Amino acid sequence: MNITSLALRIALGASLAVSGVIHAYLYIHGYRDIPAVGPAFLVQGSVFCALAVLILAGGPAWMQLVGAIGAMGSLVAFALSRTVGLLGFTETGWQPSPYAVLTVAAEVLTLLLVGTAALRARPRASKASVRQ
Amino acid sequence: MSTEQDSAGMSRRQLIRHGAWFGAAVVLTVAGGEVISHVAGSSGAAQPARPALRFAQISDSHIGFKGPANTNVADTFTHAIGQVNSLGYTPDFVIHTGDLTHLATPDQFDQVKQMLTGLNTPHVFTVPGEHDSTDDAGQKYRQAFGAGTQGDGWYSFDVGGVHLIGLVNTLSFSTAGGGHLGNDQLDFVQKDVAGLSSDTPIIVFSHIPLFAMYPAWGWGTDDAAQALSYLKRFSSVTCLNGHVHQLFTKTEGNVTFYSATTTAYPLPAPGQGPAPKPVTLPAGKLHDALGIREVSYIKGQQALALKDQKLT
Repeated sequence: MNITSLALRIALGASLAVSGVIHAYLYIHGYRDIPAVGPAFLVQGSVFCALAVLILAGGPAWMQLVGAIGAMGSLVAFALSRTVGLLGFTETGWQPSPYAVLTVAAEVLTLLLVGTAALRARPRASKASVRQ
Repeated sequence: MSTEQDSAGMSRRQLIRHGAWFGAAVVLTVAGGEVISHVAGSSGAAQPARPALRFAQISDSHIGFKGPANTNVADTFTHAIGQVNSLGYTPDFVIHTGDLTHLATPDQFDQVKQMLTGLNTPHVFTVPGEHDSTDDAGQKYRQAFGAGTQGDGWYSFDVGGVHLIGLVNTLSFSTAGGGHLGNDQLDFVQKDVAGLSSDTPIIVFSHIPLFAMYPAWGWGTDDAAQALSYLKRFSSVTCLNGHVHQLFTKTEGNVTFYSATTTAYPLPAPGQGPAPKPVTLPAGKLHDALGIREVSYIKGQQALALKDQKLT
């Protein structure tokens, strides 16, 4: 593992941890009482924190993909809650501040990092298959 | 490396390794969830066991309604009352957020008033819906339920350190314009909260939403922003409403809005169909769309805890 891969891994773990910890914090501080959305915050917080730890510990590439899918899902849920509503739950703009903007930034960063890691992995995979 | 390659190209060792990572992910997720739940639970357990305030909300009983959407609204309202009485504790009070009756006839007011006496609670507080003031600007409503209120039926009271305000926004209701509070009531709100400290939890209940849930159907209150501006300095403001016959939650700054469901019949989701007409559900599905709500407040916590129950 070279230094760039390690840096990508650390950044990805951090971005997942930020999103997971904020969702867990919001769950503890009130969101747990919101039907359906509260439990979803608990699941999101637990899964993202677990992925962050395991990716930092050297977990396989599919974990990064799961993280990206989770980040995409969280962003879609965020967009729904600001537009048509998510299971009857709506919020306005960047409320609650500053948590909304931090999680969105962390999840966008997660997608960018996983995309970068995938692009970096592709040539190596091609070379490996040529060698075989 | 001694491996047994399968047809997909993954060795047994790789399979075991991925399985181990997956297992670790599951274990960590479950453990993390347990820790978060425990922290959330203990943050509540640190408070007194009994909430400072516990009450129930029922709404839109529409006593007198006749139609295929609910052929017996009195029966479902009786069920709702029984469900409130079966909460396992005596609520400090029960609020009915309007449309007690369907056509505001004296008989319907008599019937709903009689039925409300079946609630096992010391107090019942109401606000009128537009169905309760169809032809007389709410006079019959106030004769039945207006004792102790001000103006056209608005009022406030304090329980368990919480300040509650009952507002009337239905007297000049129109589908095009929605609800309206009016200057007298806005003045009342401004003066009513002027002497309260900013950490006093505020609960406002009204029939029509105080947020723009769907203005095209009149699901909003045109001058609510003025009333809410008087509540901006408070750290916890909760607005409860009926009218829309469905659960809905929205947060705007320090204010959280909760629309309640009905005990009578469902209405379509916002924008689904040309108008908010009663929806007839398949046989056996009606009770799933109806329900009651429990609300509790624990001193020191900013948010109220709400629990919506389907009608049993």
